[in-house]
Amino acid sequence: MFEKMIDRSMAKSPWIFHINAGSCNGCDIELVSVLTPRYDAERLGFRLTGTPRQADIVVVSGPVTLQSRDRLIRTLEQVPQPRVVVSLGSCPRSGNVFKGSYAIDGPLEKWTHVDVSVAGCTPKPEAIVAALAQATEILEQKRKEMRK
Amino acid sequence: MEFVLNNLFFLLVYPGGLFCVAMGILLSGADRILVARMQRRVGPPLLQNWYDVLKCCGKETIIPRHARRGVYLFAPVAGFAALVTIPLFLPVVNGRPAFSGNSDLVVVLYLLTLVSVCGMVGASASGSPFAGVGLSREMVAMISYELPFVLVILAVSLKTVILSEAGVPLTFSLTEIWNYQAANGPLICHWSLIPAALAMLFVIPCEVGMHPFDVAEAETEICEGMLSEYSGKPLAVYKLTHMVKLYVMTALFYVLFLGGMSTGIAAADGAILAVVCLLLTFLTMSLPHAVCARFRVEQVFKFYWTWVSGLALVSLVLVFFGL
Repeated sequence: MFEKMIDRSMAKSPWIFHINAGSCNGCDIELVSVLTPRYDAERLGFRLTGTPRQADIVVVSGPVTLQSRDRLIRTLEQVPQPRVVVSLGSCPRSGNVFKGSYAIDGPLEKWTHVDVSVAGCTPKPEAIVAALAQATEILEQKRKEMRK
Repeated sequence: MEFVLNNLFFLLVYPGGLFCVAMGILLSGADRILVARMQRRVGPPLLQNWYDVLKCCGKETIIPRHARRGVYLFAPVAGFAALVTIPLFLPVVNGRPAFSGNSDLVVVLYLLTLVSVCGMVGASASGSPFAGVGLSREMVAMISYELPFVLVILAVSLKTVILSEAGVPLTFSLTEIWNYQAANGPLICHWSLIPAALAMLFVIPCEVGMHPFDVAEAETEICEGMLSEYSGKPLAVYKLTHMVKLYVMTALFYVLFLGGMSTGIAAADGAILAVVCLLLTFLTMSLPHAVCARFRVEQVFKFYWTWVSGLALVSLVLVFFGL
């Protein structure tokens, strides 16, 4: 019974950790706007944490630059299981306008498994909320698989 | 046998253990909703903090390579145990606490300090530089609120003694404070103690570590500070400690300044306690959270050692001259 309660609360209290892998700050602002009174993601239990150790959903924005690559990988490894990785915006998906640049080493798929991906430069807050809601479902599934 | 069972019931179910955990979860949930409403948001459900705790139980517990394993895991549990013991000394219903003695207020003060110290010990055992910074900040915050807190307690106990009976220099017995208030009206109605009550209202959010005073757990500056390495079950215990502390501090204010109100029916007394705790939560935590940005460390220190201590000192002097 207790295990089932934990499973259900997994989707109800996802804490987000945001990694900026060389983003232009556009997606970062949109992510913050999701938590503002207008979109109020806290209604669904979302909270922005300051440390990867407490995160459930890791949101990565920006094309993975050479400078941020190692730090990104190290930070992702510090997140306890079960975790969900969300890529935010076009940059981590494809490199966007920076594709082919000597300074980037993307896409994000090359370094980690991406569970949910939001497209757009920058994506609308509505799209981000939808992606985060999808991420919580995946989180609950992962928890159930982890238990088995 | 009966003695053991009774004490186990006190410790695990009521007034410690389950009861204060439930109160803590409800109060902190209400606090989050109130803050959200003041910011024109819908806010999380009332039981959000309970979901948070459950979720943390379901996560992997990572022990960092540089951490002292035993201390790292034991410190949160010890802090929680110390905190759950405090409600046993508070005569919240009918003026009869589970345990009582001559100086239980001092015990409460020490147990509250022990909770913070356990947090610091856990943080220092985690071996993270962020936790180190958080730890030093927590120490400064503790020094800031301990002084006015002790002054308030001194003022209250001095008042109780001067007007009840001569002979004893000071009483730190919560039961006696409660009985005094039952005879002479709540202490907040005595005008010489109003500054002390105000000072205590300021002590509550800093002791709990709520938003404008949460210098030690600043998410954005120092990665959650003392909790930066914690994950999984120890984190769940820390979150529970945080919530229960909210209940304990508001209940302590109730006993010190609004005590003595007894209807004779336990359920009605419990309802009064819940309403008072909720009001205090709104006044001391939700309102400053919605209005203020986080203070800097030295601002907290300065504020508490000048204004709040000043208020408490005014009360102490007034009471000393028998007003």
